[in-house]
Amino acid sequence: MRVLSTIKFTALRMIRNYIVLILLLVVPIILITFFSFILSGVVTENGVPYINENAMIMVLVFQLFGGSIVMYLIYHDLFTENKMRMYALPFNQTMYAFSIMLCGALYSILLGILLMVYSQFVLGVIWKNWFWMIYIISLMAILSIIVCLIFTFSVKNYKIAERLSELYGVGFVVLAGLFFPLPRNAIFDFLGSYGNPLTLSMGAIRDMSLTNTSSAWFQANILLGVIAILFMVMLLLGRRRIG
Amino acid sequence: MTIASIQGVVKRYGAHLVLDYIDLDIYEGEIIGLLGPNGAGKTTLIQTLTGITSFERGKIEIFGQSKNPFSNQNKERIGLVTQGITVFEELTAKENLQFFAGVYGLRGEEKKKRVEEALEFVGLGDKGNKTPNKFSGGMKRRLNIACALTHRPKLLIMDEPTVGIDPQSRNYILEAVKKLRENGTTILYTTHYMEEVQAIASRVVIMDQGQIIKQGTVDELIQMVQHEEKVKIDVTDSDKVPVNELENIAGVKKVVVSGNQITIISAFDSGNLDRIITLVKEHAGVLGIQADKPNLEDVFLTLTGKELRDKEEA
Repeated sequence: MRVLSTIKFTALRMIRNYIVLILLLVVPIILITFFSFILSGVVTENGVPYINENAMIMVLVFQLFGGSIVMYLIYHDLFTENKMRMYALPFNQTMYAFSIMLCGALYSILLGILLMVYSQFVLGVIWKNWFWMIYIISLMAILSIIVCLIFTFSVKNYKIAERLSELYGVGFVVLAGLFFPLPRNAIFDFLGSYGNPLTLSMGAIRDMSLTNTSSAWFQANILLGVIAILFMVMLLLGRRRIG
Repeated sequence: MTIASIQGVVKRYGAHLVLDYIDLDIYEGEIIGLLGPNGAGKTTLIQTLTGITSFERGKIEIFGQSKNPFSNQNKERIGLVTQGITVFEELTAKENLQFFAGVYGLRGEEKKKRVEEALEFVGLGDKGNKTPNKFSGGMKRRLNIACALTHRPKLLIMDEPTVGIDPQSRNYILEAVKKLRENGTTILYTTHYMEEVQAIASRVVIMDQGQIIKQGTVDELIQMVQHEEKVKIDVTDSDKVPVNELENIAGVKKVVVSGNQITIISAFDSGNLDRIITLVKEHAGVLGIQADKPNLEDVFLTLTGKELRDKEEA
């Protein structure tokens, strides 16, 4: 398993990509901090401090963009002129791509956890169920990576794949109604609830904190099912481009 | 001993024939200079030889294996220096080499030693902790080469490793290639700079339009096209040049006077240089002599009817 020896360097490359670090860690920290000041003392209709809700949304929203570093590394290593060198190496290129995926998922989850730690210990946000939160963050991180890779594998122009991945992130934030209220009809209702990974993950966390366990698991399992289906799609497309 | 053998390999991109029944044997310890203009098929030949791209017809045998020539076992014995700079910008020079050394199965102290060794070899011993974005073009090229050396390959394939660098770095690289050969590495070196091939290659293979059109040592190839000799003499007084007498010397084909320079074209190996110089010296005074010999550029021109490089590029 010579691919194992590359994991340390993939991790270093991710950590040293400062733009990604700013996007996935610094910006959400600034936003969570900013909102904690203006929402201080405000509570939801359930009596929960609004900052808790806001921090949860921020952590999940930025997970939608977590796949960008993975798509960049896989594209750079296996689709540009680096491809020639990587394919001449005595290791399995598909396994190498998987190792980048795995590193990317762990990195994205770790950044999510750092946000949780910061918001709890600095801003006083209460995360009721850490394990559940981390589980949902993990699902969102993996989903984002898979979606980004599907874009990378299915379009020839990487710039278009990048724009599509941004559209995925921003699009679902808009469809979740976080920027402005959306018209009420069947399509927008679906895309603002079960058809939206962001609202599914938010719902799963809210329901779990309200001890509505079955509904929480139901929403998390929908995410898991989507991941399973998209993973197969990604494998098929990836085999065509990498294998 | 044959290290790699390519027999009748055909490769097409759509309707375009990129490799047209290529036959090439690579023998242990030689430096093959694969020479050809842009688009000749050199990089595709390398990609085929390393298993990066498939081919539709023919046979490739590497280290005696023809059934699975691109096995990991064989890849471990091959080093590839790519035409583009394919290093990781986020990693330091040392980390770049550690990455590749690890993939080639090196571990612990051995890996550390080989990484240091490769950095020293390309003259980047003191730059190991710097990232490539702080390097000049030549230094990046050298790092690109070092990445293919940590595992001490038996066969090193270098795809235009000196494109776009300063003469100093180019000389450094050429000297390094010679040193590698002395250490027993077999090298396939592709370029469109004939001076490089002339300086390092023990055998030259000329490619054009997907075909190998000629191969041999530099001298063999030059002899093939050498039908005449050209001598240019700078004189003090061109009016006194004894043109008729010079034309009567055995072997002399033509005498051209242009300004203070005369050009004398003789039959190849006619042995009349001494007589020509004596005669010119007696009448017109000699300031300087220049004997033009054909080079690989002339060989290429003769074989294909075109220049090896575009005029602007040269």
